[in-house]
Amino acid sequence: MGKIKVASIWCEGCSGCHMSFLDMDERLVELINKGLEINATPITDLKIPDEGTDIGIIEGAVATDHHEEEVKMMRERCKFIVALGDCAVFGGIPTMRNYVPVEELLERGYITTESTVQGKIPSSEEIGKHLSKVKAVNEVIKVDFYIPGCPPSADAIYYVLKEILEGRVPKLEGELLKYE
Amino acid sequence: MENIKIKVNGNEVEVSPGKTVLQVLKELGIHVPVLCHYEPLMPQGSCRLCVVEDRGVLKTACTTPVEPNMDIKTDTPNVINSRKLVLQLLFTERNHYCMYCEVTGECELQDLGYEFGLDHFEFPTYERKFPVDNSHPFILMDHNRCVLCRRCVRACSEVAGHFVLGEMERGIDTMIIADMDTPLGKSTCVSCGLCAQVCPTGAIIDKRSAYLGREVQSDVINTNCDLCPVGCGIEVYKKKGANFIVKIYGDWNSDVSQGVLCKVGRYLSLYDEKERLIGIRVKDDFGYRKISEDQLIKLVKDKIDKGIAYVDGTLFNEELELIKEIFKDKVYALYPEEIPIPSNITLKELDNRNFYVVIGADLNREYGTVGSIVKRNVIGNKAKLMVIDKEFNSLAKIADYVFNIKDMSMALDIIKKQDDVVVIYKDIDSDEIKLLSSLTNAKFLYLPKETNSLGLQKLGIKHNNITAECIFVFGKNLEGLKNLNIKDATVFVFTPYEDDEIHKATVLVGISNGFEREGTFYNLEGKKLKKEKILRPTYDTVDLKTFLSQILGRAEKVS
Repeated sequence: MGKIKVASIWCEGCSGCHMSFLDMDERLVELINKGLEINATPITDLKIPDEGTDIGIIEGAVATDHHEEEVKMMRERCKFIVALGDCAVFGGIPTMRNYVPVEELLERGYITTESTVQGKIPSSEEIGKHLSKVKAVNEVIKVDFYIPGCPPSADAIYYVLKEILEGRVPKLEGELLKYE
Repeated sequence: MENIKIKVNGNEVEVSPGKTVLQVLKELGIHVPVLCHYEPLMPQGSCRLCVVEDRGVLKTACTTPVEPNMDIKTDTPNVINSRKLVLQLLFTERNHYCMYCEVTGECELQDLGYEFGLDHFEFPTYERKFPVDNSHPFILMDHNRCVLCRRCVRACSEVAGHFVLGEMERGIDTMIIADMDTPLGKSTCVSCGLCAQVCPTGAIIDKRSAYLGREVQSDVINTNCDLCPVGCGIEVYKKKGANFIVKIYGDWNSDVSQGVLCKVGRYLSLYDEKERLIGIRVKDDFGYRKISEDQLIKLVKDKIDKGIAYVDGTLFNEELELIKEIFKDKVYALYPEEIPIPSNITLKELDNRNFYVVIGADLNREYGTVGSIVKRNVIGNKAKLMVIDKEFNSLAKIADYVFNIKDMSMALDIIKKQDDVVVIYKDIDSDEIKLLSSLTNAKFLYLPKETNSLGLQKLGIKHNNITAECIFVFGKNLEGLKNLNIKDATVFVFTPYEDDEIHKATVLVGISNGFEREGTFYNLEGKKLKKEKILRPTYDTVDLKTFLSQILGRAEKVS
């Protein structure tokens, strides 16, 4: 069995899903022994997935133009896209800002916060621009598999990766399917 | 009527007519997902999750009656896909992101999502923001969670009879509103809380029970409310392994209340913040000083022979019986109460009457469950209502006839011409009783003053105003203490609450209260109902029943 290359990115999320990924513990070794090759991930601190990656895992919602580019690049370079966690699947907690205009939001966050003195809205070119609405990943690119949960359990992530490794289509059910 | 033959998933079955497809499928053990359907309410067919295929056409199982030659299929791709689409639409129309929501883990929409393996939204969501109505003291309405199933609207009208909730606008703009789009807290809502009980999602939640725990983390105890003589059936959710109550629901299987509760039973008993009387204290020259329970028993035993007892109607039968055993015939009620015309109708029979007469009671404010039964028949079933009172009565605005109690004879002329009359009355003068008892075409329901007024009657405990060397007072409502001549007497007060009035007493004993005590009482129909002990006493208080048994020399196991 050949290697199965996995890459992951972390968009508008809290990293909890990646923690849950690591929470697979020794099962991670088992997956690696079965041929899983963990490539560019926030864990390995590599940001650009290789061409021809098999599984692209996306944590977090799409909130800025940078995220939009990143997920599109993932789609181009990966065979399967897995949306990991509630933010990637549904939009999640970051969508809380969808009901507030971006300008108002930044003003509140950087200037009018009670603890802020002489605040300033960051304007560097290198920082992504907020989209008017936070979107779930499937509103930007086609997603093949979804693992909801906040965070999804290590069991659910293990199950999905194992099924893909063994050439089956994963279907979350019972305890593995949770929205919270 | 003859049974009819229909086909269900290819098998021929014989069913009795008059049933809905959903009922038939349920009997056959075929699972049909439902959301807007709720057993005690009229089916509405608004969520369309229960669709089944009948000869190629999708029909809502909950509202379609069975007909001959039906060919019901419950698992065709057409049915499954339709249900899945409906579920997607329900999830994405408003904000149904579970992490934001209080009821996650106990939500019927969430359960359906899991059942159908819904693992993402197919449509853009979080497009619109809906208001959150926080104006009500007990109930929070978050329209973002609403699936427009109208269970609350139906419960509020069909069952609770208040007709406060309704809807406005149409389609995706539909909003559940109170009155004419009034904030719930400023509306005519009487806080019966049934809407929060039936809501399948987190759209209407009970503020107090929020985040205290889920049903699976609770022990559910079925018992009766003892805060008024109606004695509604309640389901008490007690947190497992903890000493507090999460919430109180109305018991749909209760013969007394059939699921309805009022503000008092559902909320006020949990919001009780009256200062409790704690410990056992004796007054001496320097004020009150604490004594032990053994010292109290000795003190009481010495004084029994010279003492008389006053009781109120909040005591349970068991406590009253023990007090009678101790004080023999020297037990008196604190308040005078005669039952002039005994009740000859049960609350269940109170439904579906033609003409209701309510005398002297504002059923929106007291005896709420009786009010619900009357209101749902008057507003919903077009029964007639006559209100006779001496002061303002909020029922008057839905009444067909309103009379001042002085004009009782005029009112009776109208009542006599009606059939199927129920007279619901509370304390009235003897002249009026004489008039009332002349009615031959009416059933009567007397509303007693206190929870166990009927228990006092059955034990022959009557009001009196005499004094003795030693006076023992038992009960919760001690207003009547003012009228007693207790100046020269040694007074023992056994009561759960702190009150200025009781500080005239020589001995003060704080007794267990509410869900800390158990016992039976007779409700207004004369039914013997049981109140269970659910909580351990929070304070240092005496359990009256145990204490009285000890006085009688009967060792009772203290739990």
